Amino acid sequence: MATAHGTTDMIVHDADDPDVNRNRQYVLVAAILAALTALEVATYLMPKDLQHTAVFAVALCVLMTIKFVTVTLFFMHLKFDKRFLTVAFYSALALAVAVYLAVLATFRFFWPADQMIPR
Amino acid sequence: MSDLVPASPTGTGTLALPEGPSLTKPSSPLGVFSRPTTKTGWRAWVTTIDHKRIGIMYGAAALVFFIIGGCEALLIRAQLWAPKQHLLSEEMYNQVFTMHGTTMVFLVVMPIGAAFANYLMPLQIGARDVAFPRINAFSVWAFIFGGIFLNSSWLLGGGADGGWFNYAPNSGVLYSPTHGIDFWNLGLIITGVASLTGAVNLIVTVLNMRAPGMGLMKMPVFTWMTLVTQFLLLFAIPVLTAAQFLLMFDRLFGANFFNIKEGANPLLWENLFWVFGHPEVYLMILPAFGLVSDMLPVFSRKPIFGYPFIVFSGVAIGFMGWGVWAHHMFVSGIGPVSVTVFSLTTMFIAVPTGVKILNWTATMWGGKLRFDTPLLFCCGLITMFTIGGLSGVTHSVAPADTQQTDTYYIVAHFHYVLFGGAFFGFMGGFYFYWPKVFGYRLNETLGKWNFWVMLLGFNLTFGPMHILGLQGMARRYASYLPEDGFTFWNKLATIGAFTLATSVAIFLFNIFYSKVKAKDLPPPGPDPWDARTIEWMIPSPTPEYNFDPIPTVTTLDDFWYRKYGETEDGRVVRIAATEDVAQPVHDAHVHLPSPSYWPIVTAFGLPIVAYGLIFSLWLCIPGGLIVIAGLYGWATEHPDDPEDATHHVPGPDHLEGDDSDAEHTGDAGEAEKEVVPVG
Amino acid sequence: MASATHAAVTAPDPDVVHGGHGYATNTGISNTKLGMWLFLGSECLLFGGLISTYLLYRHPAPGTGPAPSELYDIPFTSITSFVLLMSSLTMVLAVSALEGGDHFKFRLWTVATALLGSVFISGQVYEFTAFVHEGMGFTTNRSSSAFFTLTGFHGVHVTIGIVMLVSLLLFSLRGHLPRERAEVVEVVGLYWHFVDIVWILIFTVVYLIPG
Repeated sequence: MATAHGTTDMIVHDADDPDVNRNRQYVLVAAILAALTALEVATYLMPKDLQHTAVFAVALCVLMTIKFVTVTLFFMHLKFDKRFLTVAFYSALALAVAVYLAVLATFRFFWPADQMIPR
Repeated sequence: MSDLVPASPTGTGTLALPEGPSLTKPSSPLGVFSRPTTKTGWRAWVTTIDHKRIGIMYGAAALVFFIIGGCEALLIRAQLWAPKQHLLSEEMYNQVFTMHGTTMVFLVVMPIGAAFANYLMPLQIGARDVAFPRINAFSVWAFIFGGIFLNSSWLLGGGADGGWFNYAPNSGVLYSPTHGIDFWNLGLIITGVASLTGAVNLIVTVLNMRAPGMGLMKMPVFTWMTLVTQFLLLFAIPVLTAAQFLLMFDRLFGANFFNIKEGANPLLWENLFWVFGHPEVYLMILPAFGLVSDMLPVFSRKPIFGYPFIVFSGVAIGFMGWGVWAHHMFVSGIGPVSVTVFSLTTMFIAVPTGVKILNWTATMWGGKLRFDTPLLFCCGLITMFTIGGLSGVTHSVAPADTQQTDTYYIVAHFHYVLFGGAFFGFMGGFYFYWPKVFGYRLNETLGKWNFWVMLLGFNLTFGPMHILGLQGMARRYASYLPEDGFTFWNKLATIGAFTLATSVAIFLFNIFYSKVKAKDLPPPGPDPWDARTIEWMIPSPTPEYNFDPIPTVTTLDDFWYRKYGETEDGRVVRIAATEDVAQPVHDAHVHLPSPSYWPIVTAFGLPIVAYGLIFSLWLCIPGGLIVIAGLYGWATEHPDDPEDATHHVPGPDHLEGDDSDAEHTGDAGEAEKEVVPVG
Repeated sequence: MASATHAAVTAPDPDVVHGGHGYATNTGISNTKLGMWLFLGSECLLFGGLISTYLLYRHPAPGTGPAPSELYDIPFTSITSFVLLMSSLTMVLAVSALEGGDHFKFRLWTVATALLGSVFISGQVYEFTAFVHEGMGFTTNRSSSAFFTLTGFHGVHVTIGIVMLVSLLLFSLRGHLPRERAEVVEVVGLYWHFVDIVWILIFTVVYLIPG
């Protein structure tokens, strides 16, 4: 079973029911996601002036990306399916990100002094 | 029945489920309707899921909308015949040019592309239908109902009047209090759903359902262009849908997306619209490029020059088209940096199109040209699109565009590329594929008249607009003054427009004339043009099952190489008669998916919801219930009607005495010929 | 006789991916699965547009009312976000159960997913009502319109997902969802997970990253 090679955390025996292995893997992934979410939410408790920094925003985006990729790879099974599906979906995502970053750039969104839609 | 059911993996004789009835027993959906079985009459068309009939319906509906949009164009040209005319009031004029543009873009050019894609693409890849036949039927009905809904605005308070692009805040209720723009908005959301579902369908079909041996680089160019077009639709339509929901929420529910008093920025609409709008224009032209790329080799008796370049330039156009949208916004105040960036990207996108023009010309160069009507229209596309492309390159130079924008110079540009390009290509496609679809050829003499009158009328209409634009005549003005000096060229353009109308009349007459005369002429047979791709090896008109057997493809232009080979010194010689390699008409017992009511039922609910949103929210409830009922009926309907007369007769899947495969290994003998829909 | 050759009834050949039509697909991916992934790709463009609109409009014009970011209850929304995240787990367990032929577990996990999704929606409804009481409705200002449109679209997607899950449950109870048709559930699952990852995006970009 492909899932048997999916993670080094799993001890796989031929005698094991592959369904149970797979389910254990899902629960493990969910636990990791929950931990990441807890981490994200904990940032709410950080001091306000730290929260308004660019580093903070980037760090949250990194966590978000890890969660996003984890769900697609494991829960949505992309890691174990034909590679074409990953290419198709992530290309669409890349297009969306690129196009909308360009739209935001056209609005001078990333230049706080110059924004077309000011505070 | 159970003795015909193979053993299931659990080892029981029938597929017994833990609870409930066995799947082999047909379940009556909602206990009321079984699947329709009619094969003739209007009921057959209403319930069809056959891609060929769906393609014909797309084309027929598009031609009806073309007449409507054409009449709107004639009204515009009549109004602009002389200065200060009052044939149309300013308010009426705004509605007429808005609806003309909207109709032509969304209800004519896009659906004709869909018509060809639906009819032709499965044949070109050797499939028996598309991946999701019922979704395909839903798409065509949603398009038809959406188009009717949009045009019903004429009878219900007036058409949309903000231009086909309906810029905010002019599109808001403050400046456009009538319902016209709501009809535009909701109608296009409905047709957008049709396009999106169609895109998923056709992409899956091309990727998953090609005949054995047909790798991606052996597909005809039209199929490639269809694939790129559908990807563009898949990603561009949602952007328009997002923008349209924002507009709908503003107009119907008081949201503030384009409310200047709340600090909204009108450029939000412009950006979202053109992010859709630019890929949109590429998806309008690519199918015509594909058709031309497949027709030129037939009438030049030469393979397409540089097939990989034609394919990759099409893909490149698809990609690059996402990076140029703000060239529609050079004067909107986006600032010099943005203007420069988009000016550069727009210049670059001329390159892949130029590659195509070169390749088409090189295909014809040195070929044995046969100037039948389809080739005339191909030449028309190449020349007219080049002119339109050149004016487009001048637009890419932002300082020049500052002068050109909002003038008739732009109107000239996009009509040259869309009418001179896309529509001429479609006309060629109509003449080329008519015998395959309908079983009779369109008359050649009338066809040539059709072409020349159309070419003359077209250039007479839109050529002068270049001059008018550079002289400063603005777009979307209901009239002009005598002292402006625009009168002469406008008169010429109006004469040209009526000449164009005449050419369309010739085309329509040709259809009926040829059908009548066909009785006295021999049938065209499978391959009247001595063509190259595999759709020409099946009978004309196409039988319901398309191919029997599904051919195994070994090369690009596979059908051609079944008929012709090359001698050692490179001369082309005939190696087989067409009758020997084409598939004869026969009684193939191929099981085809059953027709279905549910697509049209589901589609029918959508305009009712839309009328409800405009006039009375209570109407949304029955509309929504119809959609939901339609979807449930669809989901629970039995995949096939077991009472259907077209039952599967197991047997050898090749023709008796088929020994035409001197150079090809046997065609795929399929164990399973059945096409069972899941969509 | 025709139904005898229906794809679901033939013994599945594990080496051949059925396109749902009883024959192999060129890519080796089934038609339905490929179709759903393409659709989800298009949804990226839809939600991207709505997220961008929110980002541009996140601050209301001065004097037009409260910004959504002033009214967020992060602890509350964290709980509902966690609930939705866990519903992805129950969804994937449901698919796994049906693939293994365990119809009882399948129905159990499907009910769990639908319930968790409903809890999420209830949380959204409560949150929106609270905002309205605090003076921020749909039409209050540009930010509120953008916020409610983005989260509302997401909520509608979740609701449609719940409807699909309940439908699957009913089909299963009536015996129309055998193990061989597990792919239908997998495809619904893909939709459900996508709706979850969109929320992962929205939660971070809209709620957690301030001003």
